This record gives sequence, C-alpha cells and structure tokens, in this order.
Amino acid sequence: MKLAPSSLRRSLRAVRDDESTDGGRAQAAGEEAPAVATELAGRRAGPNYVVEAYDLTKIYDNRYIALNALNLRVRKNSVYGLVGPNGAGKSTAFRLMLGLQRPTAGEIRVLGRPMGAESAELRRRIGFLPTAPAFPRHMTPISYLQFVSKIVGLPAERAKIRMTTLLQSVDLTDVASQRIEGFSTGMETRLGIAAALMNDPELLVLDEPTYGLDPPGRRQMIELIRELSGRDRTIIIATHILNDVERVCTDVGVIAQGRLIYDGAMAEMRRLARQNSITVEIEGNVASFERRIPELDEPGSVRWERVGSEVRITFLRANAVTEYLKRLLDLVERSGVELLRLDTGTHEVEEAFLRRLEEDRSRGVLRAPDWAAQEGALEPGAEEADRGGGSRSGAA
Amino acid sequence: MQAYLYLLRLDMEQLARSWLVRIWILLLVGPAGFFVVVAANQRELASETLAAYVAAVLAPLSWLVVAVLSASAVNGEADVIADSILSRSVTRRAYIWSKFTARVGVFLAVYVVVTVPLVYLVLRFAVDDAAIEGIVWGLLTVASLLVFLAAFGIALSAIFRNMLASVLTVLVSTVASGAVFQFLALDWMSTTGVVSGLPETFRGEVSVAEQLRVLVVFGVLSVLATVFGIAWFRRKDL
Repeated sequence: MKLAPSSLRRSLRAVRDDESTDGGRAQAAGEEAPAVATELAGRRAGPNYVVEAYDLTKIYDNRYIALNALNLRVRKNSVYGLVGPNGAGKSTAFRLMLGLQRPTAGEIRVLGRPMGAESAELRRRIGFLPTAPAFPRHMTPISYLQFVSKIVGLPAERAKIRMTTLLQSVDLTDVASQRIEGFSTGMETRLGIAAALMNDPELLVLDEPTYGLDPPGRRQMIELIRELSGRDRTIIIATHILNDVERVCTDVGVIAQGRLIYDGAMAEMRRLARQNSITVEIEGNVASFERRIPELDEPGSVRWERVGSEVRITFLRANAVTEYLKRLLDLVERSGVELLRLDTGTHEVEEAFLRRLEEDRSRGVLRAPDWAAQEGALEPGAEEADRGGGSRSGAA
Repeated sequence: MQAYLYLLRLDMEQLARSWLVRIWILLLVGPAGFFVVVAANQRELASETLAAYVAAVLAPLSWLVVAVLSASAVNGEADVIADSILSRSVTRRAYIWSKFTARVGVFLAVYVVVTVPLVYLVLRFAVDDAAIEGIVWGLLTVASLLVFLAAFGIALSAIFRNMLASVLTVLVSTVASGAVFQFLALDWMSTTGVVSGLPETFRGEVSVAEQLRVLVVFGVLSVLATVFGIAWFRRKDL
C-alpha cells in the first residue's frame, strides 16, 4: 500500500482553506434542532467533548449484551484509541455513535447533539471507515466518491477537486476507473479512507483502519492518521492492537465485555504499562546482584525472577521508572556485574498493560472513569485533572 | 432532498442495468407481438386478447419479477446501506422512500411501455369490442396490483434480514391470500379474481363503483405497506 500523507496533508489543507471561506461547516453546524433536554442534561460536560456516552447499553435480541453501561468521553481534537479484543463492543459503540443502531438504554451525544437514525445533518460532519467497508460492487472509485459527495451535499466543483486530491493521496488514481469488485482488501480500505474524508469531517471514526493491510501499509496508515490528526479534527480509532494505538493516539480507552475498563491519556497508559518491570541481562557475580535487589525499594515492594543471566525485576510501588532505573544502574555498579542488556518493556507494552489491568481488576481496582456518576467530576477542568493525574484509583 | 434524488437515480440505474429487468421486458414484449399477430389473423376479440395476455404472460411474469426485485430491495444491500449510505448524511426516510419510488416507478414504467403499444395494436388489428374507459380501468386495476405487490415486497425487505426469506414470503403470501379470499367469497380482492374478470372490465361491463372498490382497496393496502415499511426501517438496527 502506498499512502502519501504529506501530499494529503497539503491538499487537504488547501481544500480546507477553500471551504473555510464560505463557511461550509458552520452551515452544517447550525442546521440541527436544539438539543432535547434529558434527565442527564445536568451531567453534560459541554463542547469540550466530541463524543459523550452515558450508561450506553446495547442488548441484542434480549440475549447478547454488546455494551454494558458504557461511559465514554472523547476530547475535542484528540486522537482517541478504543482498544479491545474482538467482540468487546467497539463496533457496536461506533454504530451507536453514527445512529445506525439505537441504544437499549443510555444516551449518546456526538458533536454536542443527541445522535439518532435521522441525524443526517450531524453525520455530515462525521467521516466513517468501517472494518472491511462494503461498497456497491459495480461502482468505480470515481463513481463511488461522486456518489458520496452527492449524498453529503458537496458542490460539484469542490467535489471534483477533493475527489482527485484524495484518490491521488491514497494512491488509487491508477485504478480510479476500475470496478471496485476486483479490489484487494487494502485497496478497499484506502478507498474507504478517501470516502470518509470527502466531507472534510470534524470527527473521523475509524474502525480497525489497519485491517487487511500488510506491515508497510499498516505503518503508512498510522502515519496517515497522524497527519490527519489535529487541525480542528478529532479521530477515534477502534483496534484490537494496542501498539497501533500507542503510536498515534493521545488518549486511550480499553473496552472489554462492553465496559470501559480503562480510560486515560496515552502517556498514563505507557506509565502504567512500563513502570513495574525492568529486565536486565548481566554477567559476573549474578548471585551478589540478586541478593541486593531488595535494596532497590522499600522492603516487600520488589519482586524478581531470574532465568540464567536474565533478571526480571518488578516494582510494586508507583514511582517513576527513571527513578528505578537510576537505582538499578547504581546497584549494577555496586555489585560489580557487567550489564549486557536493559529493557523497560517497551515492546511488551500491550501485554504489560493488559496484565496490569487484569491485576487491578482482580484486586477490585477499576481504572475506568466514573465521572458520569459523579456530579462534581464534570466541573470544568475536572476531566483534565483526571487524565493528567493518573488513574482515579491511583495505586490503591 | 438532494440525497433522496441521488439515491432514487442510483436505484433506477441499478434496475436499468439489472439482467432480470431486461429479461422481464423481453419476455413481455415477445409474447405481446405473438398475441397481436394471432389476434389479427384469427380475428380474435380485443378484450379477450388483452385479458389472455395479462393472464398468461404479464401477470405471472410480473408477479415473479416484481416480487424478487422488491423483496430484495433493502436487505439485498444490507452491508452497503450501513457502511456507505446511512453512515453518511442520509436519513433513513430518504433512503427507504427512494427505494419505494424507484422500484414502483420502474415497474410502472415497464408496464406502461409494454401495455400501451399492445393495447393500440390489439385495438387496431383485432375485433374491437373493447371500451376505452374499460381498458383504462382494467389497466389501472392491474397497475394497482403491481404497486401493492411492490410496496409489500419492499416493506418485507426492510423487515427481513434474509433476502430469500422475504422473497419467499411475498410469493407464498400472495398465492395463499388468493386462496383465502376465494374461500371467503372475496374474489374481487384476489389476484386471480381480478385477472379473470378482465374481459368484462375491458368491454366496460363492470360498474365504476366496483372498479373503484378494487383500486381503493389495493391503494390503501399499498399505502399501509409503505408506511409500515418506512416506520419499521426507521427503527431498525443496521
């Protein structure tokens, strides 16, 4: 796959500048009916959030619970990664976000307004890439993007400019007049991205955007998402690959069995994932080094396991990893061993993070936000503190 | 409105490209020519010729084609609806309404394109025993049956996720309803009853009240099917 993020960035900026002159987006923003007052009105956090879900529940056929009182808020202009295994409820959350399905209970607001099946004007401001997008098979990329531009109400001239720009940016120009039915999964994903960007959306919802892409294609897709972020655009990405999220997202939510089990800033997630464990490979008097490991922190708060020359040390307290690194290097020097390798587990972030969440859950610690149930939590700035200050439950 | 018009055009284009529609037209036109030739050579009555054509060719063929094309209108593109259409700025009402209007429009267009020249040729070459107003009433009656079948099929395609189930339901329920109506002595409401009474209708021997009764009943049923289909689709999870 060949995506051209830089050219896309340039061309999108050009089209955006063009659109800003005639207020295309402002027009769309003003067309929705006033928000309906609900019992939850008092808990709403206002325009700082692009998506707000309160106790969102979806039960299929009275049998299968896809979403279980999901509370989710996505900050404006953030890149939010919704992570979870297959069947966790990510796609259901997106379908509710787009009004394709109706919640069994709870409420969802998008761009400050309640989302429903007939909220077409609201969807005009959203771009959506489904997993393995389905297209009318007889169409070509050109006719499909024309179709999209018509149904989103883009003026013909602007639609042509935008279409050619996007087709070039996702490297589909060569096959622009070929029928979609012969396309590979990667080509369909790229076409889906182009279609999602046709209306220059304020909110871009990407469901498994790296689905079906080869490793280089995946990297380029991540790069493209990075390029698309910011500039008054919020992006929500659903994936079951935490590493993808780590590379591009500013905020992250982990969903499992229809519930948000973690919600916080990306940096916080990294801290949670990495703070606990450092692996060293050493040579020399390993036994002496091992005897002194308890000195690294308070008694009872350090655990380690040794396999040959490799020692994996786990710190149970929530100090910064740099502090532990300093102490560890000092210990290496004092023990007179040779340090061959040191690993803070960056390549194991997904495993470590999920393990940490599981440990927390087994101890009864919930890292998901309960701001929806806390009146005070929705005061201005409360959420920032929530994200910036680590988990709500801390290191309990 | 723009989205509706574009979806309408798109669906009409799809139908125009459909092999089923093309074959349907060919199978209607070929026998129509044959009926005209036979009527001219054998000095057949115009009313009987037209009624025979409707009973033997137009009704059964159109019943099958309209049932299949209407009962697969929505569920036949279920994945595309969610991914490519309704996830964008299209209301459900606009989408389903475009389906109703496009399908009914195309079916009626084919019907008119086939029957109007046929009527002209039959009246010209066969023994003219038909009354113009009778022919108009008769053609309107058959059209109302087609419209109802289309509306019923599209409503079921919005309800059922499985295309085969909706098509079979339309086919079976229309056949079964004919038997039920005959059993209840409501022949005028059954398809076979309407078709078998066409010679008298074409000759203008059926009263306007009776004709209106059929038109009103099938018109109301069509409206009910449409309203129900739209209401259901607007609440449906995609």
